Amino acid sequence: MTTLSQEAARAETRPADAGPATPPVLSVRDVHIHDRASDREIVHGVSFDLTPGRTVGIVGESGSGKTLTCRATLGILPPHFEVSAGTIEIDGTDTATLTGRQWTELRGSTISAVFQDPSSYLNPSLRVGAQIAEVLRVKTGLKRREARLRALELLRAVHLRDPELVYGQYTFELSGGMLQRVLIAAAIAAGPRILIADEATTALDVTVQAEILDLLADLRESTGLALVVVSHDLAVVAQLCDEVLVMRQGEVVEHGPTRTVLDTPRHPYTRLLVDEHESYGLDRFLAPKEEAA
Amino acid sequence: MVRRVLSLTSGRIAVAVLAVIALLAILGPWLAPHDPLATSDDTLAAACGPHWLGTDHLGRDVLSRLLDGSRISVLGSLEVAGVALAVGAIPGILSVYLGRVFEWFTLRLTDTLVALPFLLFAVAVIALLGNGITQAMLVTGTLVSPLFYRVARAATLTVARSPYVEAALISGASLGWIVRRHVWAKVLPPIAVALAQTIGVGFVIVSSLTFLGIGVQPPEPTWGGLLASDLGYLDYRPWGPLAPAALIMATVWACNLLADAIRDVSGEAGRALLNGRKARAHRLGTPDTAPTGGA
Amino acid sequence: MSADQPHAAPTDTPVLSVTGLDVHYGKRRARRQALHGLTLTVAPGETLGVIGETGSGKSTFARTVLGLVRPSAGSVVIDGEDVSGHHPRQWRALRRRGVVQYVFQDPLRSLDPDLTIEDSLTEPLLVRGVARPEAARRARALLDRVRLPEDLLGRLPGELSGGQRQRVAVARALITEPRLLILDEPASALDSANRVQILDILKELRADGVALVLISHDLGSVAGAADRIAVLYQGRAVEVGPAADVINTPQHLYTRLLVSSAPTLHTAAASRTEREALRALLHA
Repeated sequence: MTTLSQEAARAETRPADAGPATPPVLSVRDVHIHDRASDREIVHGVSFDLTPGRTVGIVGESGSGKTLTCRATLGILPPHFEVSAGTIEIDGTDTATLTGRQWTELRGSTISAVFQDPSSYLNPSLRVGAQIAEVLRVKTGLKRREARLRALELLRAVHLRDPELVYGQYTFELSGGMLQRVLIAAAIAAGPRILIADEATTALDVTVQAEILDLLADLRESTGLALVVVSHDLAVVAQLCDEVLVMRQGEVVEHGPTRTVLDTPRHPYTRLLVDEHESYGLDRFLAPKEEAA
Repeated sequence: MVRRVLSLTSGRIAVAVLAVIALLAILGPWLAPHDPLATSDDTLAAACGPHWLGTDHLGRDVLSRLLDGSRISVLGSLEVAGVALAVGAIPGILSVYLGRVFEWFTLRLTDTLVALPFLLFAVAVIALLGNGITQAMLVTGTLVSPLFYRVARAATLTVARSPYVEAALISGASLGWIVRRHVWAKVLPPIAVALAQTIGVGFVIVSSLTFLGIGVQPPEPTWGGLLASDLGYLDYRPWGPLAPAALIMATVWACNLLADAIRDVSGEAGRALLNGRKARAHRLGTPDTAPTGGA
Repeated sequence: MSADQPHAAPTDTPVLSVTGLDVHYGKRRARRQALHGLTLTVAPGETLGVIGETGSGKSTFARTVLGLVRPSAGSVVIDGEDVSGHHPRQWRALRRRGVVQYVFQDPLRSLDPDLTIEDSLTEPLLVRGVARPEAARRARALLDRVRLPEDLLGRLPGELSGGQRQRVAVARALITEPRLLILDEPASALDSANRVQILDILKELRADGVALVLISHDLGSVAGAADRIAVLYQGRAVEVGPAADVINTPQHLYTRLLVSSAPTLHTAAASRTEREALRALLHA
């Protein structure tokens, strides 16, 4: 097991131990998001709690409001959007009270994110290793040489086979899966407690997607990272998440433990998503196996 | 295309101004009240009864000279644009389809033309072919053609590699069909923009050449020539250059405005612009063609 | 709905027969081999799923069958005609027979943005000399078949939604009544409701006896529709067989990883250790 940071060492509790007594690291309560440009409410009341080591999944198509919700929790809503009602608390602090500087402090060290198209989040003119090192130097104040060493450790932690080589490469030399790993490394560099993965695997081949999802599960187990996984694919969420929110046109149409939602969907939209997999996907062929612990 | 351009205010203004200029070019010589070449003793007169814009240093009626010269000036710049189009755009489109050798050859030729010092080349060619407006325009057109070559080639390349052209190919379309149906419509807007700009530039070039005595010989009036001769007598007729300068400016400005208008209604941005207008006109919402970032 | 038996009897000529296909890209030092000795057949009315990751050669395979790429070795036989050595004019003649058609992955870019839907739909017919009124009539009939309203004919692609565009692309591919239809990631760019619609349309096509080749990187997206599956890995077909067999009893290491990686509702969470083991073996 790799120890990624001081904070991670603290949160060595395995997911099973994170019972109801543990305070949530992220708490979203009845959040409404309003678009000032078109004067419409886009997200109508999203609520969930995230405790360390657990994973919440948000499923929805484009237009469902899932990305806006993520951006709200990170404090990066587009200019004409605002949280019009409800509260978002990160580690107990109401984010509405945060100044710009406090937000900057929070991002990376408490809450972090990876998004869909990895190559657009890295500078193509710089080597990728240097970009991770930059995060380390800014957030944790490490000197140049130490930052490089930590960056290599991080690259190893995200299961890159030859960290030394990758450190010196440019984005165009790396595949989509490798780039996403680099971004995950950068995202966890400062030891955040929450990681949001917004369609992080959508642009990747299915085998690579599985690798990234397995990596996230691994990180969750080794560091107690709390995950929010957002996808349009119910199965991606099924693979990784303890509880699921299904969003449609800004509303949460279903919310509950993953197994319950998948086995006994109540809302017709959820049922549509489940049926699609069961009629056209692999589920038809494969016999359900016993879930591993 | 024409309809779309006219739907924009800028397009309408540009076309209107250019229409007036075109009328001047066609009817100008006939409208001239006096013989533009007739000298008189009434030199450097201000605006007065018989001479609305006064007379120049040789007593010739300025208005008549302006009107008479408009045909040559306008035709000259059109010739420049036409030559540039033919010499540049056609090889540009063909360079994508006629193979490596042709492509290499035309690319190097274009590079050479860009590198040539314009005036030296013009003078050299005139020396070879004799001095005349047609030769001058040919030379100028050739020297300006690289723009058309590059624009046409770039537009064709973009289209040639696109999935919809492959789809046409897969359905059994011939090269001619693809060029006619797909390539031409995409190449036309950037070329139209280049054309509009070149007409404007052509004007300035014709004027410069006449200023230097290349192409049009005095006493033939051209707008540029008038500007040149007027500048010599600013002490006596300080307002003299105003009229030819205004005409040149108006034409170049209208051409650039037209070029802008064509660009505004073309391509991705153009379609979005027109879609938006259509939607507002019909009070329908346009369907979301691309998911918005915040969704 | 179970994977139906292909309609063809074993003696029928396959619609597509690829044997020992080698395809190379690039020149001199940059020369790469995209396909190695690929051998596949598609029987009339059968649906073949071709699965592979980026770089596996699946797109090259499609492009070779369509004549956009020339094979370096081996043979490609379409509907009894050996096209391996065809030059452009012969390809054009074959294409005008309308035997093979293709649906691109990205519906937005596969339709000319300046042409109306009607223009795009009728193009495959107009290039072979069908009269415009007749072509327009068939375009209307096809829109109906892909469940799109007729008033879309006069619109531009930019005015349609992604799902509608994809269905237009399918309609265009069907207008020449092809015997073989190749679809590249037919549903990946679409949302749930549209995906289901496309898959339903494909189901109807199978019932009509059209042979389909579904190309994808995701086993799950073609599993429900395919009779047989061919798995491509690094330019080679590492496993070919009936869909149910390939999925339930995969033989090759990569196929096992594919099955294990495909997101499913009930099983994917369980296979993490299995995937780790397979990856380790594969990269050894």
